[in-house]
Amino acid sequence: MRVLKQIWRWFDEITGFSKSLGPVLNHPVPRARKTRWFYVLGSATLAAFLIQVVTGIALSSAYVTGSGQAYDSLRFITSAPIGRIIRGTHYFGASAMIILIGLHTIRVYLMGAYKYPRQMNWLTGAGLLLFTLLMAFTGQLLRWDQIGFWTAVVAAEQAGRAPVIGNWLGHFILAGNTAGGATLSRFFAAHVFFIPALIFLFLAVHLYLVVFNGISEPPKAGRPVDPRTYRRWYHALLEHEGIPFWPQAAWRDLLFGTLVIVAVFVLALVVGPPEIGKPPDPTIVSASPRPDWYFMWYFSVLSLIPKWSERWVIILGPLFFGLFLILVPLLGGRGERSPLRRPWSILIVAFVIVVIARYWAVGIRAPWSPRLEAPPLPPMVVGVTSGPIADGAQVFYDKGCEYCHTVSGYGGIRGPDLSDAGDRMSAAQIATRIFSGAENMPSYRGELTAEQLNSLLAFLASRHRVQLPKPPVLHTGSQQTAKR
Amino acid sequence: MQSFFFIAFPYIALILAVGVGLYRYFYHRFSYSSLSSQLLEKRQLFWGSVSWHYGITLILIAHLLPWIFPGMTAAILGNHTRLAVLEITGIALGLYCVFGIVTLIARRLPNNSAARAVTSPMDWILLLVLTYQVLSGVGIALFDRWGAAWYLRTAVPWLRSLARLHPDAGTVTGLPVFIQSHFISGFVVILLFPFTRLVHVFAIPLEYLWRPYQVVIWNRDPRPPQVPALPKTAAPPSPVPLEPSEQERRQLLTRLGILVGGISAAIVGIPSFAFLLGLRKAPEVWRTLGAVDSFPVGQTMEVSFLDSSPLPWSGVTAKTAAWLRREGPQQFVAFSINCTHLGCPVRWLPNADLFMCPCHGGVFYKDGTVASGPPPKPLVTYPVRLRSGMVEILTSPLPITTV
Repeated sequence: MRVLKQIWRWFDEITGFSKSLGPVLNHPVPRARKTRWFYVLGSATLAAFLIQVVTGIALSSAYVTGSGQAYDSLRFITSAPIGRIIRGTHYFGASAMIILIGLHTIRVYLMGAYKYPRQMNWLTGAGLLLFTLLMAFTGQLLRWDQIGFWTAVVAAEQAGRAPVIGNWLGHFILAGNTAGGATLSRFFAAHVFFIPALIFLFLAVHLYLVVFNGISEPPKAGRPVDPRTYRRWYHALLEHEGIPFWPQAAWRDLLFGTLVIVAVFVLALVVGPPEIGKPPDPTIVSASPRPDWYFMWYFSVLSLIPKWSERWVIILGPLFFGLFLILVPLLGGRGERSPLRRPWSILIVAFVIVVIARYWAVGIRAPWSPRLEAPPLPPMVVGVTSGPIADGAQVFYDKGCEYCHTVSGYGGIRGPDLSDAGDRMSAAQIATRIFSGAENMPSYRGELTAEQLNSLLAFLASRHRVQLPKPPVLHTGSQQTAKR
Repeated sequence: MQSFFFIAFPYIALILAVGVGLYRYFYHRFSYSSLSSQLLEKRQLFWGSVSWHYGITLILIAHLLPWIFPGMTAAILGNHTRLAVLEITGIALGLYCVFGIVTLIARRLPNNSAARAVTSPMDWILLLVLTYQVLSGVGIALFDRWGAAWYLRTAVPWLRSLARLHPDAGTVTGLPVFIQSHFISGFVVILLFPFTRLVHVFAIPLEYLWRPYQVVIWNRDPRPPQVPALPKTAAPPSPVPLEPSEQERRQLLTRLGILVGGISAAIVGIPSFAFLLGLRKAPEVWRTLGAVDSFPVGQTMEVSFLDSSPLPWSGVTAKTAAWLRREGPQQFVAFSINCTHLGCPVRWLPNADLFMCPCHGGVFYKDGTVASGPPPKPLVTYPVRLRSGMVEILTSPLPITTV
């Protein structure tokens, strides 16, 4: 022990660490009292990021960056001892980082901590948020199974909606004419070198600014920020009631960060990494590309907005999001910080959360996707095994109606449920709809023979609401009392 | 002679421009002067100078962009409307420049005028060369039309070859002499940089863009900051003022440092960036899909083939798939499997004669036209041909739907 101390003393003497870095560690921070646990979100994001760095380096030591081999190397990693845990930790670490950086952003926005002099803290943080989302996107792609492959194509298609340079940009993203050999290397370089380098850079500036400007004090209604006096006031506050960051405030960060790491590790152990799907073979057309959970809501947005607005939303949506993040500190750099005096901030956060949660929930069901794996209707549902109704059920399946329409719980949910079509529509109405099609239904004009049409109509006309046995009517005194 | 004008002369002009420019900057800094004439004549100066500078700046940018981003420019010009709009804008800007420079010359012309007295012989030479340059430019735009497009195939390869130090004038030697004279006089303009008032281009007053256009008593912030009184502390010792020469030296070294740093960053960064941009060209090739008779008439089948640029490590991703439909004995049509909405692979439902996309539920009829759902365009078709009893397909780039 004494030897260690002596070594440290010698090391410290020739490096000056405790002189230069000591004050940084011990810098005073305001007492946060009731909101003190809100201040751990940033450091927890950092903890999640460190998980990603360590497990990412471990993964990259066995991952093969070749479009033809990446898939097999990932299977190899998953089957290697501990490899499954490392992959799981990387996956849940990513999820934790997304959630935590989102919460951190909301906390800073609601508490108005982006106001003078911390505008640059916010802007570097906005950069980090953007890079984290890019990491999530490119990371899903590096799994390079079928979904990863089609993610690259979908990314290129979305970039293609940029005005004028769209086609060029889309092929730039693919690094070639098609998604192939060069594509994966490009995304690997982005995920492993380019974006992490930017994250480290922005993180350094972000942390430096946290120390330079000091951590924001909890807001109080009626105490606006005035750039001309704020710094002086803040220093007076620190002198009056500041506490040293280390260890009086830092223990919460340490504790919460550790909890995050433990939670991620336990999830990795219990749940395991996301499954690797089919190989990235472009000729396997039976693919259903789905984003990982972090972009599920955006997947639904692109499915549910009106068709005419899509070309605008794909490009302007992300642009407006970025613009909002940039303008927040530039336009609102002074004035009230408390959310109680900034009701719009609460409304905006609530709106964003509700919209994302709603679209996310819809995205999981994906009602717009045809259920191409739906089995033919069982005889129990059809009701008969021969005759026009049974033939009609076969036509209903063969012509793809069932992929989008449910009958008694079987089939897709893109179109209306036809379980009781016979009750709602006449044969003529049904025939009209089959021939005319609709915004989201193809027209079957010329596609059905007279015989097929007749049996299909017979089948649909036979669909009735299930007649539940009527409950026995009881004439008791108590019911009559209730009626009165 | 051609190789002198299009290879030797450009380099001579550039070397002189840079060499003499640096020499004068370091050793004869104050030997430049463009004698101000604003006090002598103002009205014409305003119209001439504003027209000239706005016009020529935009035109120069339009000349520079194609040779920095040729691929992107070609993409922009690949549409008749856009090309026509650019051409008309270019001619308008050129005429605007001509108006500007003629006005600028006119105000210096009158004998015995004050403006004429402060005009040096070098100024006259510069004005003449610039006038020739914009007049020939407008002339080319009017008489050798669609320059925006052919510029990409003629001057751009030549200029890029000059920049890569592999000069190749092959694409410009065959051009009409009138167009060539525009190129040569362009390099004369570059040559004139260090000898004339043109050096002012390197002192662009960018801060004019955000400074208040006049700082006067009534647009200053009137309220002095309200700060609580502080205990008085001893003023820090004021630093010893530097001698002017030392100050200038330090400023010079700072600027030199920034310049050298910028050059270093460019040396490393530009090739790396260019490498990233270059990884996408691949020639289209014909690939055999199989014997004609292996495809029944009236059926749609999935076919797969190697894409145009398979790499040794591409593995399964080197393949591309398409839906091939035999419409008649000799008629084939091949659809890309990529949905025109967001590129997901569409599936063929043989019983329903429909293509269906699993992502957002786009549906296409058997001829590729949109049946329902979000796709904005019909399925893209690949060129197909028949050669000695075999069906062949042209490996085309992945179709990307653009607005």
